[in-house]
Amino acid sequence: MTDGHDHHHPRPASAVELRARALEALLAERGLVSGEAIDAVVELYERDIGPQNGAKVVARAWLDEAYRQRLLGDPGAAIAEFGFGGAEGDNMVVVANTPAIHNMIVCTLCSCYPWPLLGLPPIWYKSPPYRARAVSEPRAVLREFGLELGEEVEIRVWDSSAEVRYLVLPMRPPGTDGWDGDQLAAIVTRDCMIGTAVPVAQEPSAG
Amino acid sequence: MDGVHDMGGMHGFGPVVEPGGEFAYHESWEPRVFAINVLVGVERVGGGPGGRVVREEMEPARYLAASYYERWLYSAEQRLLRKGTIGPGEVEAMMRRLEAGEPVPVHHDPAMAERVLTELRTVHPADAPPPDARFARGQRVRVKRMHPAGHTRCPRYVRGAAGVIEAVRGADRLPDRAVYGEKVDPEPVYCVAFGSRELWGPSEEPAWTVALDLWESYLEPA
Repeated sequence: MTDGHDHHHPRPASAVELRARALEALLAERGLVSGEAIDAVVELYERDIGPQNGAKVVARAWLDEAYRQRLLGDPGAAIAEFGFGGAEGDNMVVVANTPAIHNMIVCTLCSCYPWPLLGLPPIWYKSPPYRARAVSEPRAVLREFGLELGEEVEIRVWDSSAEVRYLVLPMRPPGTDGWDGDQLAAIVTRDCMIGTAVPVAQEPSAG
Repeated sequence: MDGVHDMGGMHGFGPVVEPGGEFAYHESWEPRVFAINVLVGVERVGGGPGGRVVREEMEPARYLAASYYERWLYSAEQRLLRKGTIGPGEVEAMMRRLEAGEPVPVHHDPAMAERVLTELRTVHPADAPPPDARFARGQRVRVKRMHPAGHTRCPRYVRGAAGVIEAVRGADRLPDRAVYGEKVDPEPVYCVAFGSRELWGPSEEPAWTVALDLWESYLEPA
């Protein structure tokens, strides 16, 4: 695991970082990969594509029953209504939480994840502990995230082993009556759409 | 391939939630390696099976010791080497040049940025529904016992287990053969739901369900 606490302090580059820089430099020298193209991909997932996309979809589904039905019945088309789609999002399935069922997604073989809606996955999602344990002790995993579900709730774990990418449609929490789409989207975190958290009504803080 | 990448159910990896784990990456070279992997594909300068398959071929101890984007760096390099786009030792030679303080080569091509963004944003049609699915929703099936030496999307932890067809997903080529360039016809892919007892035996946790998408070739009637 790399050190995550030194963003603002110069430090010697690790061997792997040097190697990464060298590969990029080699491809540049050959005229095969441009700096602009690398920057464009990085910025796309840092700025334009991320969980804010998925949150808009969820908020709309909470506000608009007809949209919710479209989202569950033909997810690709419903998601495309927002202009979202592309790599790692062509075969979407949306799984809805209910009082009786809680869904969570994992990729035990690698790191499959719905990029157009959630961006790039967090480190824990692609690390061995989650990939190993989500399918074999889901409640213990959820407890680490601070989520305790009643014994009566059936957990359904979706292992993204093929080309389908999953999104969890969480339940709208109580205390959100009258909220508009932006207010609702603000409480739909990435983890809520992976299924390791559930939304909680919190008044969005001013500013 | 029954490698260490096939992690479902393994013990001993420790906690999921650790400080800093909520970020997609920590260091600025990591998303650049991700981007290089994407570009190796889009610009067709890499060879052999895709990055995912190459990463699975890493020697197991090395796979586990490597960080996530270190594996992606490995797969990008391997694919470039397999196509002959770069030669053995060339990355190391460039490392020595950079360490010696030589100027970093740059290449400008804004049109390439447009190409890759277009590719990443392009919506391709979902897999077509299979015309001749052998199994129907609600049917019980069993995952075949097998031990494939090459790439597979059938995780170890479901092999031999019986489950129920939850949905018929679509038609797709069997990755076990298609990733190596074999011409194979699309076959049905099914979502199969397994009870936790069937997969893991008794547990302290109340029973749960694990659902996976599996190609028809992996399945037999139960």
